[in-house]
Amino acid sequence: MSAVIEIEGLRKTFNSVRHGRQVAVDGFDLTVGPGEVHGFLGPNGSGKTTTLRALLGLVRADGGRMSVLGAPSPTRLAQVAGRVGAIVESPQFFGNFTGYRTLRLLALAGGVPVSRVDEALEQVGLHDRGDERVKGYSLGMKQRLAVASALLKNPELLILDEPANGLDPAGIREMRDLTRSLADAGVTVLISSHILAEIQLICDHVTIISRGRRVASGRVDEVLAGFDRHEFLVRVAEPERAAELLRAGGLPVDVYSDHLVVGQVDDPTRISRLLGEQGLWVRELTSLRPDLESVFLELTGDGAHPEVPRQVDGSGPHHRVMEMDAGVGEVRGDNA
Amino acid sequence: MNLVRAELERLGARRFVQLMLVLLVLAFGVTASTTLAGSHQPTAAELTDARTQAAESRRQMDEVYQRCVAQVNGNLPPGSEQEDFPADCSEFDPVLQDRLPVATDFLPGVFVFSQQAEPLLYFLIAFLALFGFLVGASYVGADLNSGGVVNLLLWRPRRMTVLGTKLGTLMGAVLGLSLLASLVYLATFWVIGQSAGLPGQLDGAFWAGLGAVHARGLVLVLLTSVLGFALATLGRHTSAALGTVAAYAVVWELGARLVMEIVDTAHPDRFMLSSHVGAWLSGRLEFWDASACASASGFCERVYALTWQPALAVLLGLTALLAVAAFSVFRRRDLI
Ligand SMILES: Nc1ncnc2c1ncn2[C@@H]1O[C@H](COP(=O)(O)OP(=O)(O)O)[C@@H](O)[C@H]1O
Ligand SMILES: [Mg+2]
Repeated sequence: MSAVIEIEGLRKTFNSVRHGRQVAVDGFDLTVGPGEVHGFLGPNGSGKTTTLRALLGLVRADGGRMSVLGAPSPTRLAQVAGRVGAIVESPQFFGNFTGYRTLRLLALAGGVPVSRVDEALEQVGLHDRGDERVKGYSLGMKQRLAVASALLKNPELLILDEPANGLDPAGIREMRDLTRSLADAGVTVLISSHILAEIQLICDHVTIISRGRRVASGRVDEVLAGFDRHEFLVRVAEPERAAELLRAGGLPVDVYSDHLVVGQVDDPTRISRLLGEQGLWVRELTSLRPDLESVFLELTGDGAHPEVPRQVDGSGPHHRVMEMDAGVGEVRGDNA
Repeated sequence: MNLVRAELERLGARRFVQLMLVLLVLAFGVTASTTLAGSHQPTAAELTDARTQAAESRRQMDEVYQRCVAQVNGNLPPGSEQEDFPADCSEFDPVLQDRLPVATDFLPGVFVFSQQAEPLLYFLIAFLALFGFLVGASYVGADLNSGGVVNLLLWRPRRMTVLGTKLGTLMGAVLGLSLLASLVYLATFWVIGQSAGLPGQLDGAFWAGLGAVHARGLVLVLLTSVLGFALATLGRHTSAALGTVAAYAVVWELGARLVMEIVDTAHPDRFMLSSHVGAWLSGRLEFWDASACASASGFCERVYALTWQPALAVLLGLTALLAVAAFSVFRRRDLI
């Protein structure tokens, strides 16, 4: 089956009087297959929203090819719009309308039966607040309303830009459950986020963007596997001596104040054997599997604060990102 | 069709539109009730009195004319004083007057429909033109500014259709409202004339004249609506339209007029939109021509006129230009 979303070489540069030229997306690729719950991960300002806007015909791309549900975007977008539910960057609603009316007008404009409005409100847990004015809604409620507006069409493809924005922990969990139930029902979902835990919990596939470029993509477990250096944390009574023994055994070792990190470990029993033979007893032996967060931070550069917006330019950690991409290579999913 | 319905509801739900409607009703109520309170049906004695006064006034006009003619021809009756008459008596000729005094001119405190209908209609048109402009601007301006258009485009990714429907809905609604308002308005004052004043002379010529003013007024109302819509679309904001009009009024209608007068430009009024609006509404507008008789010898007309045909061409051309510009800019614009 062909891809639900295909983006190839997307480029977009903003020219604004205030900020000059901003390269927002710089040759970005993205493929989302049918039935995937696809995480679109990147720090703030990495180009996620711009990519989604271009895909949905809201901004003009400067280059590249895109298609949604087989229809080239933006030229043929109108043909498939009825099957795509999308929210892009915390949508704004007219404050004087009630939530119900907001959705009813969209349903009317989009030719969706108005009976769907109640169902959609129910789905996002806004059912008993539907007759209140939107301006009285909290950020999280507005976000839910936005998701409800995307769900109105019973979409085959759901595109959510930072859906967790403004939601409290309970709301985030509800959103997660909702996403999962939609995915179970066969809806393809693309979720952008800068919150890694979010993606790791819901998504089966992930594409990581940094400074407008794809730096990794594929099945979540495969992306993680690609970054697995088979490292183990070792705690032992005499770390200095243990390090020497392990190095003599051909294993790379980093020594920290109270533990060692040993790399290239295919079989952890080798560590305990090497040390045990010399009477050093291992107190702790833990596999250091990469989680998405460490991969993400590694890929997106300086990393300590993924929430801090960054300029898109060619300097600094960019080179490191390129190295990673070249060195590790991309891990692509089978059905991509 | 559903899109139109949704837009109509959106338009009708706007606070600003509702406020303007309340203002319209209020202005209407105040005018009608003060008219009603200040008018009474003349008694037979008042009518006779007024008729006598009108006849007297006509007789006096004729007398003045006869005196003028006599003085100019040099056959004044002996003993009569020389008066300050011009060489040409035609301005006193009763036959050449626009209108002669009639009985209704001498009925203080009596509302005469046939005399007041036209100025009342002008007032209504002025209000509706302002209404159309402000509503046209705020309707699209607020929607562009609040992301409402983006939401809609996610449902209907056809920009020209979406903006065109908005403009069409606006024009239809403004036209419908204007027709309704003017009908109710004129009918009310007609009833006041019938029951608490005088209808006056309501012949075919009167209705034809009033109908022409009405039709021209409606065209003006539509033009200002489109103008407000186009300016707000171009500037992405309601205030862009208001600012443009304010700037135009100050810079051009006041500033440029002053400059043109200082440098003695011929016929500065023809460069002013306000003159064209006046010419369109009244059919023909005459302006004082400062330069006309400077070098002329013999007969020289000291006024020049703007007629409705070129005035309509100017107003239509300008509005169409701005509308086309608005649509073509909107077609390509990045919607953030
Ligand atoms: N309208 C705009 N004008 C100028 N620059 C913009 C505009 N929108 C986005 N950008 C820039 O493009 C880059 C990517 O932004 P965005 O796509 O919003 O990132 P994300 O959604 O990943 O946080 C940022 O550097 C941002 O400053
Ligand atoms: Mg974003």
